[in-house]
This record gives sequence, structure tokens and C-alpha cells, in this order.
Amino acid sequence: MYDFAFQTPASVADAVKLLADPEARPLAGGQTLIPVLKQRLNKPTTVVDLSRLGLSGITVSGTTLTIGATTTHRTVARSAEVKQLIPALAALAGMIGDPAVRYRGTIGGSLANNDPTADYPSAALALGATIKTSARSIAADEYFQGMFATALQPGEIITAIEFTAPEKAAYEKFSNPASRYAMVGVFVARGPKGVRVTVTGAGQNGVFRHTAFEAALSKSWSPDALNGIATPVDSMNADIHGSAEYRAHLVGVVAKRAVAKTL
Amino acid sequence: MRSPAEPIDFTLNGRAVRVLADPGRRLADLLRDDLGLTGTKIGCNAGDCGACTVLLDGRQVCACMVPAGRVEGAAVVTVEGLPVGALQRAFLRHGAAQCGICTPGMLVAASDLLARNAAPNEAEVLDALGGVLCRCTGYRAIVAAVLDRGDEAAASPAPRGAVGERLDKVDGMAKLTGAEKFGADALPDEPFLTLRAVRSPHPHARFVLGDLRGLRAAHPGLAAVLTAADIPGRNLYGIYPTGKDQPVLADGYVRHRGEAVCALVGDPATLATIADAAVPITWEVLPPVTFADAAAAPDLHAHAPGNVLCRGRVARGDVATGMAAAAVRAEIAVRTGFVEHAYIEPEAGYARRVGERIDVVACTQTPYMDRDELAPILGIAPDQVRVIPTAVGGGFGGKLDLSVQPLACVAAWTLGRPVRMVNARPESMAATTKRHPARIRAEAAADADGRLTAFRFHGDFDTGAYASWGPTVANRVPVHAMGPYAVANVLCETAAIHTNGPPAGAFRGFGVPQAAIAGEALMDMLAAQLGLDPWEMRRRNALGVGGVTATGQVLGAGAALPECLAAIRPRWLALRAEAAAFNAAGPAGLRRGAGIACMWYGIGNTSLPNPSQMVMGIRRDGLAVLFSGAVDIGQGSNTIMVQIAATALGVAAAEVVLVAGDTDRTRDAGKTSASRQTFVSGNAAKLAGEALRAEILRRSNAGPEAVISLGQGGVRVTHRGGTTPLDLSELAADDEGIVLRGEGRYDPPTTALDADGQGIPYASYAFAAQAALVEVDTALGSVRVLRIVAAHDVGRAVNPTLVEGQIHGGIAQGLGLALMEEYVPGRTDNLHDYLIPTIGDIPPIETMLIEQPDPLGPYGAKGVGEPALVATAPAILNAISDATGVRLTQVPATPARVLAALGAGRAA
Repeated sequence: MYDFAFQTPASVADAVKLLADPEARPLAGGQTLIPVLKQRLNKPTTVVDLSRLGLSGITVSGTTLTIGATTTHRTVARSAEVKQLIPALAALAGMIGDPAVRYRGTIGGSLANNDPTADYPSAALALGATIKTSARSIAADEYFQGMFATALQPGEIITAIEFTAPEKAAYEKFSNPASRYAMVGVFVARGPKGVRVTVTGAGQNGVFRHTAFEAALSKSWSPDALNGIATPVDSMNADIHGSAEYRAHLVGVVAKRAVAKTL
Repeated sequence: MRSPAEPIDFTLNGRAVRVLADPGRRLADLLRDDLGLTGTKIGCNAGDCGACTVLLDGRQVCACMVPAGRVEGAAVVTVEGLPVGALQRAFLRHGAAQCGICTPGMLVAASDLLARNAAPNEAEVLDALGGVLCRCTGYRAIVAAVLDRGDEAAASPAPRGAVGERLDKVDGMAKLTGAEKFGADALPDEPFLTLRAVRSPHPHARFVLGDLRGLRAAHPGLAAVLTAADIPGRNLYGIYPTGKDQPVLADGYVRHRGEAVCALVGDPATLATIADAAVPITWEVLPPVTFADAAAAPDLHAHAPGNVLCRGRVARGDVATGMAAAAVRAEIAVRTGFVEHAYIEPEAGYARRVGERIDVVACTQTPYMDRDELAPILGIAPDQVRVIPTAVGGGFGGKLDLSVQPLACVAAWTLGRPVRMVNARPESMAATTKRHPARIRAEAAADADGRLTAFRFHGDFDTGAYASWGPTVANRVPVHAMGPYAVANVLCETAAIHTNGPPAGAFRGFGVPQAAIAGEALMDMLAAQLGLDPWEMRRRNALGVGGVTATGQVLGAGAALPECLAAIRPRWLALRAEAAAFNAAGPAGLRRGAGIACMWYGIGNTSLPNPSQMVMGIRRDGLAVLFSGAVDIGQGSNTIMVQIAATALGVAAAEVVLVAGDTDRTRDAGKTSASRQTFVSGNAAKLAGEALRAEILRRSNAGPEAVISLGQGGVRVTHRGGTTPLDLSELAADDEGIVLRGEGRYDPPTTALDADGQGIPYASYAFAAQAALVEVDTALGSVRVLRIVAAHDVGRAVNPTLVEGQIHGGIAQGLGLALMEEYVPGRTDNLHDYLIPTIGDIPPIETMLIEQPDPLGPYGAKGVGEPALVATAPAILNAISDATGVRLTQVPATPARVLAALGAGRAA
């Protein structure tokens, strides 16, 4: 039905080799790529299945949490290690989509796709995560480069994501009621990287740091610290579910509720 | 480069299978098309609806989102592989499967949960089933079924199925095993061709088709490209005799986005490789006529000057005098948008030419109208068309219009081979009818005692590109617009307006839900001015037995709105108290409110004949057979007809075999529309059963109190202590093997309406009062409905479980209308941008069935399908107003609109 080859490599090296073809596409959980293929929006020559590369799993070393790229949302949501070290991350994973999506969707797939309404990018950026790939390590600050754009080079695949436990963190979102994608999602964190507030779903260029909120929360970690701080409307996304003005308003409300969750 | 088919080994429903398949093929297609397991449904093909949910290694997944290569070595379980046990029986008992199209997905998702958690709580059920959409049930019965598996031992023995009993649906089990065949599941026995329409991307355009020979040459698998020139008969159809305005294939001019301009016929693989853009079409795009500018725009149809298709009017008394004499007055302007039916089954079916006749096997709500419409398109007589409805995966009015049938028929007729057509979800949403957007102005007045003195209403309804059911909306709304209240001075006017929007047609309520939003807001506004409780305001004006309507009709003994109001009063007071207590406690940013609304709804066609006929017979082997042309679209009319007919004959429902829907085998029972099947076809079924009973008793010389028993050995009649077997062996049998028969025909007694809309438009009306408790998040603008209480005048509940199911489902759609549903052509042609209520959106619902028999109804029963929906949106909107002091006048009341109305649309 679709005019592409389907490959299931057994090693990262083989996967990278197959993905050297610029028209090849990696397939993680398939919750984004499969519908795109069905709509023929994307016409790859080869689909490279990453599910058998042995990249699933969660390990902890001190305050460092490493999550394999093909670890599913459900696994992260239910992981005792994640719940203990970064409970906000487990909570975020549990808020993604519905059970079928959480069974199939993966953290690596979410970050590689960098959908502007996805949840994980906000956590990775707020927690200053390190994106480990088949070639190198990329700091989250360098990784996210606009909607659906990342620092990944053609043929480069994510192998794991490394997080350092924050002192406090929380994620709150206002979802699209059908897909449960974030119309506005805000991740707040205070930790080794300082105070960070990231926003997904709302911005025209995908996930972004809300520096005005960060400055205010650095002075006082409380919802009220955000009173009166506006979010620039002209950088907001607008669609049938909400105007730019409405999203800018939501960013403030959701951010306050995220901070309140940490208290 | 494409993967060649390669062997894929996996375990399917416990058995090892090997298939040769392209590993990039979707699992859903592999299961349905290659392995014949059609229990897995395709509702959206995009991971939105969950109808294709299967277990993959014990975990629920959307089979449309899994490439076949991923199942190598895995275990797949489909609905056909689930053990049939307590879960399925709980679904039956609770009425958790209505149309049944979502049922496989629901059962699989529930099985995933129950395998991990044998005793889940409600929150766990809501989460586990959260990826599967249902459009019929309102979800609560499904949740109850999953939670209630353990109660089986306590369940009473199966009822006899008399009128009033909670009989399991007679067609229920097939919906729980995956055996039921819906439009896309039914296939012809012989090889068939597939058809895909090429549709206009423009709402208004002229076009020229280029030379299609190149396309044919490039694609040997393309059997034909059909154009308007290929229609053998009349290339126009429509619901009304005067409204044949819609082409099967547009002839150089399109009036809405999604209109079919040509049709590709061939094998599926070939069709999949041909992009619409590859079809040579030259477009001349024209400015679209919109609802806002239709009056000044060029006419879209020569017969509709000013783009006005038709007008409706009901006038009584003198509104100006009534307004002037009043103590209080209120006025409101209301706007609503297009609403999509969003049944989970997109339209599907096939046609097959059989000599000089054609068989049409498709999902439909109206087989007889389809037959009579398809014949002129093919240029043949109606008796040359046989319509065999499949199971219908939700209708709600959207499958009253033809969809895939005309194209499949034209192709099958002209090519001489069976042709199948299945609308993809985006096509279904772009090409089929919608609920009419409305632009309403209304004004009401009351005296110092709260008694209505005058009501004035003007509603423009956007009927889109074609007439469809526009006249029905224009005529039904003026009768109902003032609500179920006695008002001496009334002027209600409507207009159906053509635009380049999608055709607006029939959708559960025919415009009355939109009108009720205005009318019920006015009731609250008047009550507030008078300092009256909203319930009290309604009670003082409620139409009851002997009440006189705005059309001058005196209501008969079935009119039970006062009784509905009395029943709901304690709940209403409790909801108000609960909201007040919550608000007094003052949680920051949250406000609760209670709202109430009433409704009435005329059963059946407005002042037009709408007869139903039924036949019931005894076969020579002694079995009773009911031949019913009433199409069950999930609401349960198959079960209702059997219960009524069995009761009339005096036997158990299980002794009645149902033959349903086939136009060659059953009589015309009209359309499944206007909440008419229980009332109209139910009366016909009762008459047929009574006629058969009379025939049996006559032949047995038995009196009316005799007991008839059926089964092995034929018919026996017990009378005055003696049992007489009836000898069937000497009787002549007809084509169906029937030796004794009873026939019933019923047409509700109505009259035409005069120029002022005076007369008897309906023989019976259903009434209801609903109350809603909502919570508004004043920072986000979001509204959560916490509770609905629904008191419905149903005359007699032939099957209370099915009646409650209709009420639940109607409430869910009313909630969607109020809070989330708005179809925007080209923007919401899927089930993630077009929002319908999910399992988490529907609150606990309490239903109260008010059974005050309607003298004209079968055993007193009347319809409930549309009445279920009408009051919900107004009750929710009134509750939002109660919570916040702000009245929303545009639906859906999305969070952004609510926030804007609260005047808080600034950064917090």
C-alpha cells in the first residue's frame, strides 16, 4: 500500500547505515510517523524500525537518571526510579495521550520529532537534559531548534536521554481534549541549572524558555511571583482551539499552577 | 522501492499464523482485508478513535498505527479472540453496546485493564478506555459494565421480553463478538472493484476535466473514471420531491468543498497510488457565498432567489400587544455552528448489478427512500433496486441522505461488476451533511406572575450547498421555538439559507436544539427579572394535558411536562444548594452553577404523512417471524419492534424471529428519523401482532384471553383449560414460508398547517426537563459538567435500558453541542481537531422515566431519540450563567469563548 521498504535493524550501527539514505525515516513508537505516512505527507524510501536496537530501559546513578530512547511513556510513567528521582517526569509521561499511545510512544521518538505540542521537550529543556545520540551528546539548550527542528543530523539517532534530578519540578498542561496534546504545557524546575520555566504547545517555534518567568521565580518561588508578567502574544501559536491571546493567557495560568504543584 | 511481501509469523487469537505481507502495511488492514477479521473496525485511520484497538502482546494498541512488520513474533488478540463471558454479558445487560461500532475497541481496552487489574475503580476504567471514542452511549453504560462484571449471579433470569421489560438487545451479541457486519465489513461474494471519489478542494468553483485517457493509460488497474456524463439517469437527487438539487457528480460547477467531481474505479492498490492532484482538473475558483453575506451574494440555485431555500412560520395572537402588556421582557441573539454527526463508522457499502436489477448493501437510515432516490439516478424503476442495509455504526440523521450509494450504483450498473466504496474519515466529514448553523434573534415577555404573554423568534439556518433536510428544519423550528409553554401571542419565523458550506441536513433534533438555546435562556432571563426560581418560571408556563400549543393544537393525555418538572424538582433544589455551598466555601478560581431547561418534540414528520407497515407471520414450523423495515441504527428499534410484536401476539420475545430492513422482504417502515420508529413503526408492529393473534384465535375458536404458545410442533392455543394444536400443514405458504399472517399499518393523525402555521403538525409530543451542575474554571475558561439529571416523558418505556441509553447518548451529544463541537470546513476533517465528548467528559447521569401513557402510542410509548438531546445544551449554558453571571450566546462555549465572556482574557 505504501511505496517504501521496511527494515528492522538489530544494532545502532546498522540503523545508522540504513538512515544514511536522506529519504529514509526512523520509526520509534510510530504514533506520529504512521499517520503521517497514511496521509502521504511524508514519502520515505525506507522506514527503519528502531524497536529492536536494545535501547529501552531506565538506569540511575546518583542523581543522574538515564532513559533509553525507545523506553515507552508507560514505562517512564510507572517507573519507581523515575518517580523517586524526578516525579514530575513520571507524571508528565502519564499525561501523554491515551493508554494505547503510552504503550507505543517513546521518549526518543517524542524528542526526535519535536512536535511543538509534545510534552517531553518541555521537560528535557527545563531539566537541562543531555540527548545522547549514535554520534555524540547534545545539551538540551542546543538541541531544540524550532518546531519539528532539532540538532540531530541526518542519520543520527537518539540512544538515551540523561537527566539530573532537580530540587523541585512540576509539569502542568492544558490539553487538547481529543489528542491530549498540550495546547499549553509548562514545566518548572529549580536545580543544578538554576530556575527554568519551559513552555510547550503555545509557541510558534516550539518549546521555549520563559525567561521573564524564570527571573521572577528566581527571586521568589511562588505562583504570585508571576503576577502581572505578560507573555508576548506575537510569539504565540494560534489555531481553531485557541487564539494567540488566549494561549498567552493560558501560559501564565498554567505556569502558576505548575509552581503551586511544587509547594 | 517497496518491500516485497515477506512472511510474517505471529500468534493471532491464540493460533500461530504466517501471512505474506508488506511489513509496512497497517495491522488493521492486514487483519481485516487479508485475514478476514472484520471485528477490528476502522473509524479514522489516524489513531484518534480507537475503533481498531487490539491487544499486541497483551497491551492495547491502535491497529491502524502498527506496521505489520512489528507483529513478527508477537501475540495479537482481536475482539474475535476475546473469551465471551462476564464482560460481554455485562455490556449486554447495561446497554453498553448501542450501534456496536466502538464495542470491539471498548472490549479490547477493557480486557487490557482487567488482565492487570481485576477490580478497577472508576478512574482506572476512565483512563484505560480513554482512547476509544463512542458516539452513541454517552459512555456511562460502558463504564458501568466494566465495573459491574461481578453482579452476574445476582441478575434475574432472562425476561420474557414483554413491553416494559429490560430485554437484552436481540441483535446485541453479534456486536460483542465482532460478528456484526457494518458497511465496510460486508463484501460481495464475487471479485469487486473499489471506487474513490475525487472531491473539490474549493467551496465554490467552476471546473473543466481534462483528457482522462492519460490517467487510464498510466494506470492499468484503473477500470474507469466516471464523470457526470456517465450518470445513466438523472444526475440530481434530494430529500424532497421539489428539492432534487444535488448532483451525484458535479457537472463543471461545485457548490461545496468535498463535492465529488469524478470517481476513480479500480483495484485498491491502484487507487492508492493516484493522488487527486494527478487527475487533470482546471479550476476557476469563485468567491464563496457565506452565511453572513448570502442575501447579497449571487444565487447558488436558480430556484432559491436571494439564496433563500424556504421559510417557515407560526403566528398566533398579537405579539405586539402581548409584549406591550407584559411586566418583563427579555431578548437574546444566539449563534451556532456546523456540527458533525461523527458517527464512528464512515459511510460504506457496495452495489452489485443482478441482471436488470441492482442490489445495494450499505449502511443507511432509510432503505426505502434510498431505493426511490437511486432508481431515477440509474434511470430504472424503484422495484429494480433492492436495498439491503448493513448494521449501521451510528447515524444520528447523517445517514438519511445518500452518500456512497449513488456512485457505487452508477459504477456497478455501468461496469457490470460489483463496486465497493468506503469513505475515509476526512471524506466523510467533508462530504456529508451537518447540523445547521443558526443565527437566532428571540424575544419573550411575561406578566408579573411569570406567565408568558408573548414570544417572537426569527431564525436563519445555514442549509449549505444543497437543500437536503433544510425544509424540515425551517418547518419544525417555528412549531417548537417558544418551548413547551403556553403562550397566547407568538410569531416564529425561519429561513433556510443556501451558502457554499457543506449541505446541512438532518441531525438529531432538526434545528430544535439550536432554537432551545435561545428560548431557554429567555426563560431564565425573565425569571431573574421577576425574582422567580427558574424551575418555578417553567412550571407556571408548562404545557400539560389540555394545553393549547402555538399551532392551536389541544394536547392529549400524553403531555407530561408538569410530571417531569415535579420529578426533577428535588434534584434541582439539591443541585442549586450544592452549587451555592461550593461557592460559599470559595475555592479560588472555581465557580459552580446549576441550570435547568425544558423541551418538547413532535414525534414524526411535520404535517406530512409518514406511514409504517409491518408484517408478522407464522411459519409452517410454528415460529413467528416479524418482517420489519425499520432500520436499527443502534438505538434498539430491532428489539423494540420484537418486544411490541411479541406482546401483541402474546408470546415471548425469544420466540420471534426478526427479518429486518431488506426492501425485497419487508414493507416500508419509513425512515429512522424524527424519533418516529417506536411511535409509528411500533404501532404498525402492534397492529400486525394483534392481527396475527386474531387470526390464530379465529382459527382456534378461542376467546381473546387465550394463551398462544409456539415452538416445536407448531402453534398451540390454550383456552378454558384446554389446549388445541393448530394444524398448519394444510395452509399455503408464501415465498417466506409464512402460513398465517397479520399486517399492520399506521400513519399518525396530523393535519396540514395553514399560512399562519395553525393545525396539528404532530400526533404526539415528548417532553423533558433536564438539570445540569457545572464547574467553571474562571482562570482557564474551561467548563466541566459534574452531573446531569434528566426527567423524560416517554409515555411508556418499551425497554427501559434502551430508553435510558438514548437519553445518555443524547445528553452526550448535547454536551458536545454546548461545549466543544464546531465543524470548520477544511480545518476539522478529523477526530482530533473536531472534538466530540470523550469518556472523561461525561458526568454521572440520572434518568427519570415518566410513564404517562400516550393514548396514541403503542402501549402508550413515544419516541425519545431526539428529545434526549434538546434540553442538554440549554441546561448547561444556563448553569454556566448561574455559576458566573455571564451568559454565553454562541456555542460551542469553548474555554476561549467562556474566558472572553468573563472579561478576563488578559494575562493573570
